[in-house]
Amino acid sequence: MIELKGVTRRFGDAVAVDDIDLTIETGEVCVLVGSSGCGKSTTLRMINRLLPRSSGDILVDGEDINKADPEALRLNMGYAIQSTGLFPHWTVARNIGVVPNLLKWPARKRDERVNELLTLLGLDPATDAIKYPHQLSGGQAQRVGVARALAGDPNILLMDEPFGALDAITRENLQQEMLRIQRQLNKTTVFVTHDIDEALKLATRIAVMDQGKIIQHDTPEAILRRPASAFVENLIGKGDRGLKLLALRTVGDLMERYPQPRKSEPCTDGLSEADSLRFALSVMVWQNSAELPVFNGAREEVGTVKREQLLQGGA
Amino acid sequence: MPSSTMPPNRVLLALALAALGLVWLLNLGVVQPNRIVSGTGYGLYGATGWGGAIIVSSLLLMVCVLAAKPVHKRFLGLAALLTAALMALPLLLEVFALRRLPSDSAYARIGIGAGFWCLAFFLALMLLEALGQIKASRRLQLSIVLLIVAGWWFCAGREGLSSLSLIREYTNRADQFSQALTVHLSLSLGAVAISAVLAFGLALAMVRREHWRRPLLGLVSFMQTIPSLALFGLLIAPLGALSAAFPVLQALGIRGIGWAPALLALIAYSLLPMVRNTYVALMEVPEAVVDAGRGMGMTEQQIFRQVKLPLALPVIIEGVRITTIQAIGLTAVAALIGAGGFGTFIFQGLGQAAMDLVLLGALPTVFLALAADAILSALRFQETSK
Amino acid sequence: MRAWLAPVAWVVLLVALAALLPAMKPLFSWVQPGTNNVIYTRDSFYLLLQSHIWLVLMSATIGTLVAVSAGIFVTRPAGRDFLPLVSQIASIGQTVPPVAVLALAVPVMGFGEKPTLFALVLYGLLPILRNTLAGLGGINPAVLESARGMGMSSAQVLFKVELPLAGRVILAGIRTSVTINIATAAIGSTIGARTLGDPVIAGLVNGNTAYVLQGAVLIGLLALTTDSLFEAVEKVSGRAFLSSKQS
Repeated sequence: MIELKGVTRRFGDAVAVDDIDLTIETGEVCVLVGSSGCGKSTTLRMINRLLPRSSGDILVDGEDINKADPEALRLNMGYAIQSTGLFPHWTVARNIGVVPNLLKWPARKRDERVNELLTLLGLDPATDAIKYPHQLSGGQAQRVGVARALAGDPNILLMDEPFGALDAITRENLQQEMLRIQRQLNKTTVFVTHDIDEALKLATRIAVMDQGKIIQHDTPEAILRRPASAFVENLIGKGDRGLKLLALRTVGDLMERYPQPRKSEPCTDGLSEADSLRFALSVMVWQNSAELPVFNGAREEVGTVKREQLLQGGA
Repeated sequence: MPSSTMPPNRVLLALALAALGLVWLLNLGVVQPNRIVSGTGYGLYGATGWGGAIIVSSLLLMVCVLAAKPVHKRFLGLAALLTAALMALPLLLEVFALRRLPSDSAYARIGIGAGFWCLAFFLALMLLEALGQIKASRRLQLSIVLLIVAGWWFCAGREGLSSLSLIREYTNRADQFSQALTVHLSLSLGAVAISAVLAFGLALAMVRREHWRRPLLGLVSFMQTIPSLALFGLLIAPLGALSAAFPVLQALGIRGIGWAPALLALIAYSLLPMVRNTYVALMEVPEAVVDAGRGMGMTEQQIFRQVKLPLALPVIIEGVRITTIQAIGLTAVAALIGAGGFGTFIFQGLGQAAMDLVLLGALPTVFLALAADAILSALRFQETSK
Repeated sequence: MRAWLAPVAWVVLLVALAALLPAMKPLFSWVQPGTNNVIYTRDSFYLLLQSHIWLVLMSATIGTLVAVSAGIFVTRPAGRDFLPLVSQIASIGQTVPPVAVLALAVPVMGFGEKPTLFALVLYGLLPILRNTLAGLGGINPAVLESARGMGMSSAQVLFKVELPLAGRVILAGIRTSVTINIATAAIGSTIGARTLGDPVIAGLVNGNTAYVLQGAVLIGLLALTTDSLFEAVEKVSGRAFLSSKQS
């Protein structure tokens, strides 16, 4: 658990972060979202003490972070940033192994960990491990950056717009991976982004920041339904708020479930349980169908979802 | 940083304290009975008495105070103070001459001591730091340098400093000095001019024919690697043989020693920085700009003259700057093979153990190099900011 | 291994020539007819070569130590105030001709090997200092940020990240410095250092072209040998990076 109490950061006369209180529960993904210059990165960098704070307290699991030395603190916090910051003179494997090395893990344990992480992030331990950073694509480099952040098995993960510089498709893929990895590992994560869609997709709770203050701190659904101010309303976009709400829930949540899964005929079109309701609606509009079958991972038909239901109960 | 909390400037503090220590520890000046014998040294107090010692020490202490205290516009004040101090610095030597020079000896002279040089050097460093703090424009920096040079020039002409050994050496060979200046400048600038033309051709050839690039660059950097003394030496035999074989050449003054091998070697050295910068400058013109020119219907010639060349000019000037500084230094070495120039004084002085003759050659060489640097930097800056 | 072929060949040539020059008397008699003294004999060429190399090696070692430590100091938080001034000194200082530095060392320290070494160190550390500053300053700030963010201490960031990344640029500075110093050390003969410049100076003073040639050839070879050594070191140390891109 990370607690920020009355934290303020000044640069000269300017106040970058203004007396914020924020609690991040163990295992949740807290996304700090806001426009550039709102203080979200500053907040993140105060948590691992890359920046000292001007006043206030930051506690990790009840301990003041100023008590330990900064290096020890950071070794227990994974850190991934937008420009990756991979060490250009080291191979991918050595880059990922940097924190295990700093923690003086035995070589074997470290190498196993590196291979495990390469696999976890969809990289090839045989071919990608020996590459140098400049030989990687943007998406691959960012995967390595995330793997490096996870390598020391930290309890806390700090991510500063890690997918900000990627193209839309690569970003989408990495967000999916991020969700998958988070389901497996359950790290307490603080994630900074300026992209509200990314925030809605990844967050357990979102903290909307503006001019150094936290405007609203709540679940994605609550933020969409009850924006605290005109600023938040503007940020989430009034027009497609309904669609964004639909995007938060999956087909599995709303469908009518059959008592028994049925064998489906091959080639039947339909939805999968994990698809978002937004996707389901889009398919229905496109195919002009009032009802679609839903399949599970084993391609068995497990239920149906109706357009009427979606419109009434989806959002 | 907000104006309310001005931290002390540790750089100025350190420099001023170091200067204070050195100026009290080292000899400010030397009194020599004649030009060869090393004389008796005098410290700051011994040389200038209480008056000079107090003025110099309080100046340095004032710098310390201003560096430590958050006084309004302190760096502007410091810059002005240090400029004035540097301008008036030779007056210390004048006071020294007045106090310590024996009036009965015609050969007696005063020499400049390490303390004086250290003081001048540290004052210059402090001025540099103060100018950096007020973010002085190039124009202001240049004016300040000119002011200081004018101050020294004025002091050098005064009667009080005529007993300064350096000035004695100069007055004894004023004609030789102006001749050395002419030779030094014509040799180094001539080499730069010739190599500029050659380098431009070579760079163009490399741009047009990609496969010439490696051998040409290899050749010019090979020549750059050979130490100057070796290259001068290696040119003596072939040039001497040529001159012996063709009397025409001898009539032109081309011999194994003298200006001919010097000029040849200087050109050879100048080629690498010149060719490299010109080539890089021409290659680095963005393809998009050239394409835009083509798209508007310019011919290749027009593109070269109106687009490529103006864009490449700052980098080419940088090449000229490096080359000129290098040529001025190497011309001094060329005095060893009889080419003339300020190097003659240096090596004569070393041969006679007359240190002020060495200075008479070395200081103008340094001055020429710094002046070339200032002028060409200003020119490049002007071209870049166009 | 292939990278070392060229420097080894140069070394062999240099050593062989230093040994064989005295045996080439007929050749030099042809160059300098009319005198019997066509081979420089005051010192053996080996001795001169050795003392020349010693001077350059010492100055490079001291210069590198001083320049790299100074470069590190002014890029740490404690010394950052000094950075603007030091980098200005490094660039203005390189404008001063090396021969002038050599000449100005004499009034301060007298004649001999000491002032030569002093001038070589002083002048030689400028290109190293400048390149150290450029190398350390050219590192992508994101790399340093993430190094600290990973939990590296300042010393670990310096030795594991900064110095390895700046290494190539620093090495290039050392190469420039050594190249200049081989040339300047030769001129050091005029202020009483024993170097390969001795035969050249003696030859110039006595009008003996044979002496000049012997010194000049050895100095040139020494420079080329050293240059090819650096070339090989750069090739070997740069292999890992392939293209020296800094992401």
